[in-house]
Amino acid sequence: MSLSFIRNKQKGNPNVVKYWRKNPKAIEKFQFVYNFLPHPENKKRANLISNKAVVVYCLMIILATATIRITPKFFPGVLGYASNITIKGLLDYSNSKRSEAGVSNLILNPKLTEAAQQKAKDMFEKGYWAHVAPDGAEPWDFILGQKYDYIYAGENLAKNFSNSKEVVQAWYNSPSHKSNLLSANYDEVGFAVVNGVLNGYETTIVVQVFGRPREPSMLASVSDESTILERENSSSTIEPISGTTSVLVKTVEKEVSTVPTAQTEPKIDVTVATKSLSLIFGGFVSSLLAVDLWYSKKKGISKFNGQTFAHLAILLVVMVSVWFVLRPGVII
Amino acid sequence: MRNIKEHIVEYLILFVAIFVFLLLFFIFRFDKNSLGIISALASVFYILWGIIHHVLRDRLTKSIFFEYVLFGSLVFLLLYTVLSF
Repeated sequence: MSLSFIRNKQKGNPNVVKYWRKNPKAIEKFQFVYNFLPHPENKKRANLISNKAVVVYCLMIILATATIRITPKFFPGVLGYASNITIKGLLDYSNSKRSEAGVSNLILNPKLTEAAQQKAKDMFEKGYWAHVAPDGAEPWDFILGQKYDYIYAGENLAKNFSNSKEVVQAWYNSPSHKSNLLSANYDEVGFAVVNGVLNGYETTIVVQVFGRPREPSMLASVSDESTILERENSSSTIEPISGTTSVLVKTVEKEVSTVPTAQTEPKIDVTVATKSLSLIFGGFVSSLLAVDLWYSKKKGISKFNGQTFAHLAILLVVMVSVWFVLRPGVII
Repeated sequence: MRNIKEHIVEYLILFVAIFVFLLLFFIFRFDKNSLGIISALASVFYILWGIIHHVLRDRLTKSIFFEYVLFGSLVFLLLYTVLSF
């Protein structure tokens, strides 16, 4: 039974009530279709894009976001950020940026690499994300702890990125991190790429430590760099650390990897989950708005409400931004 | 489409603003704090655009006012969901 037939029946037939009584399923169909299509008699949008429906969508998004935020507190490590970051990639992209700026390349130094590793592990073990630890330990303490006597030193941090290029690009786009990245005061660098659970989320922390030794004789050799890169190549499996005692570290013991290559695959990738959530809701409402535009024009339905085309345009821009522009990752 | 032609200046302002917000999103794509502020500004701008658009032709009702507030909120929430993690 087509909708147009039902409407003709309504308009032309005085016994329309009789007709409805004989065909209860037609009523159900008639009512159901207007969940998706604008109503020609009421001059209103489809029920599923009414103001009430949008309130429900907003509440559902808030609820889903809150669930993603609360889950790590009860199930640490279930949610996280998938990544594939390598020391070689970080070094190559960093040196590529320095070459473009006409600054000499950085060489990997084993002591700075170890200082970066210690800093990353310290953040996981003490559960912080900052240049200065809650106990007051500064980046220089980790560098000096490796007996690296420096004239200049610096530190860049990143987490939740998916690949090496995005990490270096993020540092490059931030003025303060860029000044470290392209500083001619540094000759050497150390990287740590460490997986673990930070504040309930499976994540990858990247630490970049720069330095210039006080004695030029302390400069790392090419063979030192090769050794670090070879170690990265050979370590393809993730090994847990042990020997930690605090309650916080109890969950970290199983999760933190000291291997310099970080390839994490959490059960649920936060980036995929949040992007999907946003695109599903945005896509659903946009589709209904597009149908509303098309059907209203086709049937000549003139409704007294907001501009459907404007709603559709802004939602499409939001979805383009979510899909193409927004990326995970934080730097400090 | 007839509506767009009738109110070409208002729609032009909306499209230019959308383009600017998209550009700002790309420029600050690695700075989540700035992206959060841009998202909030975008949704506030959209709410104001809708209200002014309807006030100018004396067609603003309570229902239309809430409609723009709700769609503006939806825009912000869709972006915030991704930005807050």
